[in-house]
Amino acid sequence: MRINYKLNDRFDLTIFLSVTLLVIIGLLAIYSSTQNTITQKGNFDKQLISWGISLFIFFFIYSIPAQTFKLAALPTYVISMFLLLVVLVIGRKIGGARSWIALGGFSFQPAEFAKLATILFLSNFLSRVETDLDNLKDILIALAIGISPIGLIMLEPDLGSSFVFIGVLLALLFWKGISLFGLAVVLSPGIVAVASLFGPIYFVIAIILVVIILFFFKKDIILSGSILALNIAAGFFVDNFYNILSPHQQRRIQTFIDPNADPLGSGYNAIQAKVAIGSGGFWGKGFLHGNQTQLQFIPEQWTDFIFCVIGEEFGFIGSLIVVILFLVLFLRILRLATFAKNDFLSMVIIGILTVFFVHFLVNVGMAIGILPVIGIPLPFVSYGGSSLLINMTMLGIIMNIHRSRKEST
Amino acid sequence: MSAQISFFGRKRIFYGIIIAVVSVYIFKLFQMQILAHEQFDAKASDNSIKAIEQIALRGVFYDRNMKLLVENTPAYTVRITPAEYDTSWNKKIETILDLENGFITNMLFINRIYSKFIPLRVKRGADFSAIAWIEENKEHLSGVDYVIEMQRGYPYGVMGSHVFGYSKEISPAQLKKEEEYYQPGDLIGSIGLEKKYEKDLRGEKGYNYILVDSRRREVGKYKEGRNDIASQKGKDLVLSIDGELQKIAEEELAGRAGAVAAIEPGTGEVMVLASSPQFDLNQFSYVTPKDYLRQLLNDPLKPQFNRASMAAHPPGSTFKLLCAIAALDLGVITPSTTLYCGGSYTFGRSFKCHGAHGSINVITAIEKSCNVFFYQLIFKIGLDRLKEYATRFNLGRKLGIDINEEVRGLIPNSAYYEKIYGKNWPRGILVSLGIGQGEVSVTPLQLANYCGLIASNGKAVVPHLVKGYLDENKKFHSYKYKEVDVGIKKEVFDVVKEGMFRVVNGAGTGTSIKISDIQIAGKTGTAQNPHGKDHALFVAFAPYENPKIAVAVLVENAGFGATWAAPIAKKIIETYVRRTMPKSTVAPEKQKIVVQQGAEEFAD
Repeated sequence: MRINYKLNDRFDLTIFLSVTLLVIIGLLAIYSSTQNTITQKGNFDKQLISWGISLFIFFFIYSIPAQTFKLAALPTYVISMFLLLVVLVIGRKIGGARSWIALGGFSFQPAEFAKLATILFLSNFLSRVETDLDNLKDILIALAIGISPIGLIMLEPDLGSSFVFIGVLLALLFWKGISLFGLAVVLSPGIVAVASLFGPIYFVIAIILVVIILFFFKKDIILSGSILALNIAAGFFVDNFYNILSPHQQRRIQTFIDPNADPLGSGYNAIQAKVAIGSGGFWGKGFLHGNQTQLQFIPEQWTDFIFCVIGEEFGFIGSLIVVILFLVLFLRILRLATFAKNDFLSMVIIGILTVFFVHFLVNVGMAIGILPVIGIPLPFVSYGGSSLLINMTMLGIIMNIHRSRKEST
Repeated sequence: MSAQISFFGRKRIFYGIIIAVVSVYIFKLFQMQILAHEQFDAKASDNSIKAIEQIALRGVFYDRNMKLLVENTPAYTVRITPAEYDTSWNKKIETILDLENGFITNMLFINRIYSKFIPLRVKRGADFSAIAWIEENKEHLSGVDYVIEMQRGYPYGVMGSHVFGYSKEISPAQLKKEEEYYQPGDLIGSIGLEKKYEKDLRGEKGYNYILVDSRRREVGKYKEGRNDIASQKGKDLVLSIDGELQKIAEEELAGRAGAVAAIEPGTGEVMVLASSPQFDLNQFSYVTPKDYLRQLLNDPLKPQFNRASMAAHPPGSTFKLLCAIAALDLGVITPSTTLYCGGSYTFGRSFKCHGAHGSINVITAIEKSCNVFFYQLIFKIGLDRLKEYATRFNLGRKLGIDINEEVRGLIPNSAYYEKIYGKNWPRGILVSLGIGQGEVSVTPLQLANYCGLIASNGKAVVPHLVKGYLDENKKFHSYKYKEVDVGIKKEVFDVVKEGMFRVVNGAGTGTSIKISDIQIAGKTGTAQNPHGKDHALFVAFAPYENPKIAVAVLVENAGFGATWAAPIAKKIIETYVRRTMPKSTVAPEKQKIVVQQGAEEFAD
């Protein structure tokens, strides 16, 4: 009993077992969805190998000194920004986005790496004692750190990853303890931008709201004026941004605004995904027996739509288990955030939690038809070597922070 | 420092967001997988099992002697599936398939309302060289394929364009009305028998159930095809048309505008229904090339116009038979009544005859086609009573034949004239009406029917082109048609027939077609044409004693009926009688006195 307690004290078994179960469920779903295809047949084996490598890296990251993360913050950020630039030039285009770099037989997405790098660097900046989020300059620096990779990722263009970065940015600012005013400053451009997507009237209403809020905070005229200008700029930026998006992503946004606009076009995936999950019923159709899955009604079901495979073949029970496993994972990680020995590490945990959570939110949300179809994998479950590897690395960091929480700095 | 949320407050907000999102998702999953499960399940099975329509083999046409007139022949159909097709190939494909510029763009536009996964037919009956080209360039031509489909073929060499008609791709408007059977791109009978008998000919579609993936690709058969429904071939129609006679009529009319209709007296079976000029049905067996359509529409002779049942011209002297029947039946004359012809007749102005026939009876008047006799006769009959007789013989009325392309023609009555000229309409109009000229018009088919009724003493069946159909076991089933009886005594017909006999075999206007061993009875006619040369008409039946065929011939802008129309009728009659009747029955010794005796009895 003592040994067990000691192990759990240094190694959060709940988190590790949850993730392990998710990976196993993912492997089953990958096998089921690819065994009938010609091009994706080897995915199960590849994922198994990636898992092996990821476990090795996980334990390596778990064991290294916790100080490493702070030291690595700036270099990893610089490297990842560089890679994000490189991918725009030499990247391979898959599914309309230039987001992959191929090195020999191995290919990876710099955006995945940049998530971790941005978390480290942003946490590093925000956790400095002198950083004051009531200071517009510091807010702008924090925004610059978070938005720079977003800008580059938008150019690929990879809408899903951009959402993750926005989530991380907001979560970290919030965790740092941003004031209501600061939060308003950070959030309002985003709201204005989204509003302008729906049309000029919504844009005008949003701007009026911003003016009212600024009036309420009673800040000086120059500050208020520049914030208003920022908001208006954000609204106009959206138009240009919308044009940067690939046609299939534009159509996805249109489909979200009006889902039945094109049932055989971009709405097709959303409808087929819902049909697959809904037809699974309580117990599911059984492993390898989902006709939507086996007949490949849904594209990319081993990655972005893997939740449909689970929903169809394992039913409500299977879906519920997956959702509960994620719930356990999230709450457990959130709990660890309070144990971290300093602000930096606490923020890193929150950043990583946010990455996992936004992936879960968007991926499952689009599969069950609550959110628009945005290509983004389900952590630990979806097929994808570089994604699994970076997720296990981030998990290693969390477990490392937990392990080392009682060590002196 | 503005308001700031405490550390634990911040943690609680994170906590709340996570719980909220997970709760919403679990609720949504519960709703989809448990509450709405059945709806989604139904959709899922609908998705993966697809019914592929099997078009049934269309029924073929046999002639009355079971010769195949219209058959199905396999042909290549090139198709485009819009969802997979790259429009930059348009030009190349249009050239290869010999289509006009912009054809594909236009076709895609017309069909944009339908699912992009339904293949559209670009060309039926494509050349083998085009198929070879598609096969060679297969990997570049996504969304282009070809299938073997049945196309109409005409093996007997009979064109029959107006009778057989053709099928066309169903229009969106038609599709709306008949969507329970048809799909976009299906063929549907458009004119002629193909249209009238569409429901018999089309058969029943079959369905093959296959499993498909999300890209609509076939993955396999559903339950190894055990649930498949085989298509049912359409009914094979047996026409009353006589292929050989139809062919002769078409050949005789070639190069002219005209029509031939032949009917079996008594049965209503139409043996010939030919109209000239014809058009090429092969051009209509798929999407008709615009060039060809333009050529047809610009042709002053209007080839698509079925002259046999739609060309309404004055009946000319063939109308005299009706006047004679009406006069005899009404008793305004007897067979021995004589009227005087001095070469002309005066009613307001002078109306001419082609000779001075002296005092003649009705038989001679028919034989010589004396105008003056009939000028006088119409005043004895009266306009409205004449119209009533015309109606009994179905002149100026639709016959109700089994194709839709038919017109009424016109037989005037006094109400008609009053409407046009007022109460005091000039009675002089009647003079020319008595000899079938002026405001009176009938179709060749009506004339053939009229002649057939005379031959069969007024009893017959509504004229029709289809006798019946063959079932799967090649067993014949006949269709029933309405019987008609004009209700006139045989003695009246005997007198008129005697006159018609003499037209050919006596000293009449049609002696040029006399055949020594086949007794033909006929009547010449010339329809005055105010727009050009007169139309030649001839009606005849044979053999005289036992009529088996009644023929009406129209040759437009030709001149005298005796010269232009009669020889065609002769050829058809001769061919038919020699083929179908034993020599001894063709020409029994005719007793010329019979009529005279009969006439005495009749004159009561």
